[in-house]
Amino acid sequence: MAKKTYDLLFKLLLIGDSGVGKTCVLFRFSDDAFNTTFISTIGIDFKIKTVELQGKKIKLQIWDTAGQERFHTITTSYYRGAMGIMLVYDITNAKSFENISKWLRNIDEHANEDVERMLLGNKCDMEDKRVVPKAKGEQIAREHGIRFFETSAKANVSIEKAFLTLAEDILRKTPVKEPNSENVDISSGGGVTGWKSKCCS
Amino acid sequence: MEFGEESSPSLAFEKDAFELTVEDVYDISYVIGRDLLKVSRTGDEVSDLQFRIVRVLEMFETLVNKYNLSVEELRMERDNLKTELDRLVQERSSGQGTQTAGPNQLVVDLTDPNRPRFTMQELKEVLQERNQLKAQLLVAQEELQLYKSGILPQAEPAMVEVDLDTPAATEHIPPTINNAKEEKTTISKLFSFRRK
Repeated sequence: MAKKTYDLLFKLLLIGDSGVGKTCVLFRFSDDAFNTTFISTIGIDFKIKTVELQGKKIKLQIWDTAGQERFHTITTSYYRGAMGIMLVYDITNAKSFENISKWLRNIDEHANEDVERMLLGNKCDMEDKRVVPKAKGEQIAREHGIRFFETSAKANVSIEKAFLTLAEDILRKTPVKEPNSENVDISSGGGVTGWKSKCCS
Repeated sequence: MEFGEESSPSLAFEKDAFELTVEDVYDISYVIGRDLLKVSRTGDEVSDLQFRIVRVLEMFETLVNKYNLSVEELRMERDNLKTELDRLVQERSSGQGTQTAGPNQLVVDLTDPNRPRFTMQELKEVLQERNQLKAQLLVAQEELQLYKSGILPQAEPAMVEVDLDTPAATEHIPPTINNAKEEKTTISKLFSFRRK
């Protein structure tokens, strides 16, 4: 239908316990804003953000999952299509850190084998309430061979860096080709500038 | 209206206001009408007053009628709920196998307006539809931008498929953290687009 305004479409997924800040992390990245009111995500939601990496316009379709167990069957059905998964925990919540292994198991079970994974320790602005040392996050990430960032959606720490790094990692192993037509089922179209540069230059 | 004794219609004045029926209102009207006749003086002032009294009595009649109907409705609803409650209590006490919840079963209170009612499959479908519409809205917004910025000179048939009214409908969705701002701009965009 619409002209494609991007070169590649990457589907990302945010997972992790309820209340660790997945929606806020995404909101910071997509809208550069932060909201303190906690509204639990119902099932699954998504945001779109187009970024430019290595001269390529990359449309990121980022799926935000509900952390609550009761939505498990809905959220796991979205693992399969993801090219990158961000696993988020809360550095002020020990349980959310302990559950990392459970979430990693979910990835093994439901996601593609070659999915890019990344671990985020969110809420790093709340140093006074920290219960998970940064070293522990780094350690578990190393054990699983995945990247790790401590982030703060509230204070805007490392959010963009995390998303761009994940997108770069996916880009690195993406064979150079035009976007697949099967990928545009619910997200065709793209940014104005992309279209312009393609058609008017 | 004929009444055997003269005292009986005026009894309506003695009644408790919440006990009044429409018949009582008629009795009251009768008595007031009769008394008005006794005021034999003529003139605009008296006849104006008479009309006003009639009007007030009509209002009174409507209110009493409405009140009695509401009371009756509430009474019926109460009786229905009572019957329902009795039925449920009986069902539970009759100890049917389905009533004893197992370790992995949840007892649902049917009188709780917030009780779970939809299946996961239904929720899944609703969410899929929501996300699909959201995606379509994003596409429509982008295309609108193209039109507005004059990059797209002429409409292509496929691009006008999106109903212009659809984005406005999102106004009714309670704004979530992430799209409240977007919606407003979408609507304002639409309006400026229409004015062209």
